[in-house]
Amino acid sequence: MNRWLRAALIAGAIATVGCFVWSSWPPNSQYAPVEISIAVVGLSFMVAGIAAWQRWPASRLGLLFTIVGYLYLVPYILVNLANPVAWTIGNVTSGAVYGAALAHLGLAWPTGRLRSRFECGVVVADYAQNIAFNTAATMFWNPAFSGCNASCPANVLLIGDGSRSAWNAINTVEALIGFVITGIVLTLIVRHWRSARGWSRRAMIPLLWIGAAVGAEQILTGSLFHFPATVTYALLPLVLLAGPALFVISTVRARTAGGALGTAIVDLEPGASPGRLRDALARALGDSTLQLAFRQPGGAGHLDTSGQAVDADRPDDGRAVVPIAGSDGAVLVYDQGLELEPQLVKLTAAAASMALEHARLQAEVQAQLEQVRASRARIVEAGDAERRRLERDLHDGAQQRLVTLSLALGMARDRAAGADPELEALITSAGKEAREALTELRELARGIHPAVLTETGLSGAVQALVERSPVPTTITAVPDGRFPAAVEATAYFVVSEALANVAKHAMAGGAQVTIRRRPGRLVVEVSDDGAGGARAEGGSGLRGLADRVASVGGVLRVDSPPGGGTRLEADLPCP
Amino acid sequence: MIVDDHDGFRSLARGMLEAAGFTVAEAATGAEATEAVRAVRPGLVLLDIALPDFDGFEVARRLAAAPAGDPAPVVVLTSTREARDYGGRIAASPVAGFLPKDQLSGAALRRFLAPDP
Repeated sequence: MNRWLRAALIAGAIATVGCFVWSSWPPNSQYAPVEISIAVVGLSFMVAGIAAWQRWPASRLGLLFTIVGYLYLVPYILVNLANPVAWTIGNVTSGAVYGAALAHLGLAWPTGRLRSRFECGVVVADYAQNIAFNTAATMFWNPAFSGCNASCPANVLLIGDGSRSAWNAINTVEALIGFVITGIVLTLIVRHWRSARGWSRRAMIPLLWIGAAVGAEQILTGSLFHFPATVTYALLPLVLLAGPALFVISTVRARTAGGALGTAIVDLEPGASPGRLRDALARALGDSTLQLAFRQPGGAGHLDTSGQAVDADRPDDGRAVVPIAGSDGAVLVYDQGLELEPQLVKLTAAAASMALEHARLQAEVQAQLEQVRASRARIVEAGDAERRRLERDLHDGAQQRLVTLSLALGMARDRAAGADPELEALITSAGKEAREALTELRELARGIHPAVLTETGLSGAVQALVERSPVPTTITAVPDGRFPAAVEATAYFVVSEALANVAKHAMAGGAQVTIRRRPGRLVVEVSDDGAGGARAEGGSGLRGLADRVASVGGVLRVDSPPGGGTRLEADLPCP
Repeated sequence: MIVDDHDGFRSLARGMLEAAGFTVAEAATGAEATEAVRAVRPGLVLLDIALPDFDGFEVARRLAAAPAGDPAPVVVLTSTREARDYGGRIAASPVAGFLPKDQLSGAALRRFLAPDP
């Protein structure tokens, strides 16, 4: 809102209320409460006008509120001036003319523009009948009727001495016609309310308050009920004040909508579905009809989050579209009424853009992580397979030849026995060398890959490990049967490394190996009663083991309080 | 009978065992072995665990399931590897025992034929 405009509106409001107070000075103790209530009600419409201008600059609502405020207050000032012309104009425009402006406001809510020629006609007719009947009534009103004599301002329109009965008859007809027009206006407003959806319907809520307040005013001042004047004048300002005041309060609250957007996005959990994003945006925007639509591949148009087709180029009546930047053609489709709040729509589109970008980046990182995980698992598996192959090659090749060589040397030694002691000794020592080479080769092969794992599976391999462990070790449980090679190898290395650590560092009296099958998992646990104090981050052995466990998607946990033994648990996914 | 797919080992073992007074037949695969045992009715089968078609454990299981001759032949498993590389599988097999290849000798085999009381 232009600050000059705002300053002008504020100055106008202050000047008008000031004029009203000045024109009715000195206060008459009998009428003072009434005059104060008139000032407050007039001012409340002017403040509502400033609020509406501020909230919806593109709407004419602010102008209409302001007009209602002036039409309410100015006739009182003119009448108070005691100048014949001013008095007459004040009478012609007083009373119900502001009511016609109020009907205009209600019909034009919230854009400030009337929706059809018919509604235009209704509003014009309302203004016209008010002024016409006021003029006619004024012609028959002799100011002397109100009891003032010489001090009365003159009525410039007065015909003859006036006629109280004619004045009454004209007022009755005016009330009847006004009743019909008010009925039409209320019916039209109810129809607006019923056809409005989403934001537009919410935007009509303040109008309902104002409508209720005006209805209450009609009941208080109308001829249907006869309240004591003191009650009427005590309640009237409160009632009339309620509508504009509630509108101003709702406007102040709407200013926090931008903040609500930020909260909506922050509150979204990571990886939230597009449906959840739509719900959060719809809440922040106050438009329950908001649609978040994504462009379908291959030019198949847009689909919203509930799977409904959306035409992003030609939206339905009453709908508007805003593209979401950087989102590959995604759009927000919202209630057209929201065009009154372009800033909020822009903010929402920006928030949606951020959220979608965030989700896209997250998905990308997730996919990359998935790729890295898969490639790590493949590398480890390829390494395992290579080691198995090496072990088998050693077994089929060099080991086999050494065995044969060793047997041949044995036979040669038997032949040479007795005949050539020197040759026999030579062959014996050659045979010893061959056997030692064989032993070393076996150890090497076992280090490269434990044949027992391939041959017998986890159960036999762990049994063999435990038998070789220098620390007395018991097996609490180990499942029979075979598992995927990578899982078996990892479980084996966990037990092997853990038992090696127990022997090297733990100074333990005993250890325990427990391997249990759980749904979808294999849990390997090795514990000892030794010194504790082992850390997964510390020793490269445990670090390497944790990497190895992670390579099959498992988790390694180390629980090793100083002096409290060490418990190593590997939780491996295992189909 | 020697069952082994490694020619060098077979001929060497044959020489050694014949020198030790055995009569030796040979088979190179698991299938050949099950056939030949029926035909030759050996007193002892020296059975390599690593065979090209199916392994020594499977051959031993088949021999035990369909005994050829009475008494059934004594089956001794053998391998370049050591017994512990096979965990509990050797003990679970219907065989008389295991002899690492590098410890093969006539005397070692005779211990399986006439176990010490």
